[in-house]
Amino acid sequence: MKVRDRWDRWEEIGAAAVFVVFDDPDLIRRTMLTDLDVGALPFDVLVDRSRGTYTRWGLTRASWSTIWLDPNVYKTYARLLRSGARLRSAGTDVLQLGGDFVLGPDGRVVLSRPQQRDDRPPVGELLRAARGSVEGGG
Amino acid sequence: MPEAPRTGELAPELSLPDLQGRATSIRDLRGRPVLVTFLRHAG
Repeated sequence: MKVRDRWDRWEEIGAAAVFVVFDDPDLIRRTMLTDLDVGALPFDVLVDRSRGTYTRWGLTRASWSTIWLDPNVYKTYARLLRSGARLRSAGTDVLQLGGDFVLGPDGRVVLSRPQQRDDRPPVGELLRAARGSVEGGG
Repeated sequence: MPEAPRTGELAPELSLPDLQGRATSIRDLRGRPVLVTFLRHAG
């Protein structure tokens, strides 16, 4: 389940979302956003080609073995293939790690999950953190 | 190398162009909860 598939839940609590990418914008449009009208997205997609912002937010590069010796990577590929997805060529750096952060209305971090490998928190956990920041006055 | 921001800390500034080249800052989103997701590669 992706954030965009549950966008109505984010709208219910008045949340915003920002997705940061580092690949070339044309590659992003051809791969991640193929079925979407970029001008009509309900969230921002920001481009950090130099990865300076990734670095400022403490996001590192994984080792080769961390990514390619992780069985979960192959489980993910298998699940995608079973669902009919086509494997695509990778972007510029398959070792760059990402991360998920939820900020409260005051700009403070209420959830911090820099990636250690190819893992992401469940969308429900992100939603609970965002909702809690509103209900808790964060 | 800076560390990732921790729970309770003020988020670092994030100001970048969007896919259409418009400058965007998370400061403009204050007053709302914000999900900030840094993605891995586009493949």
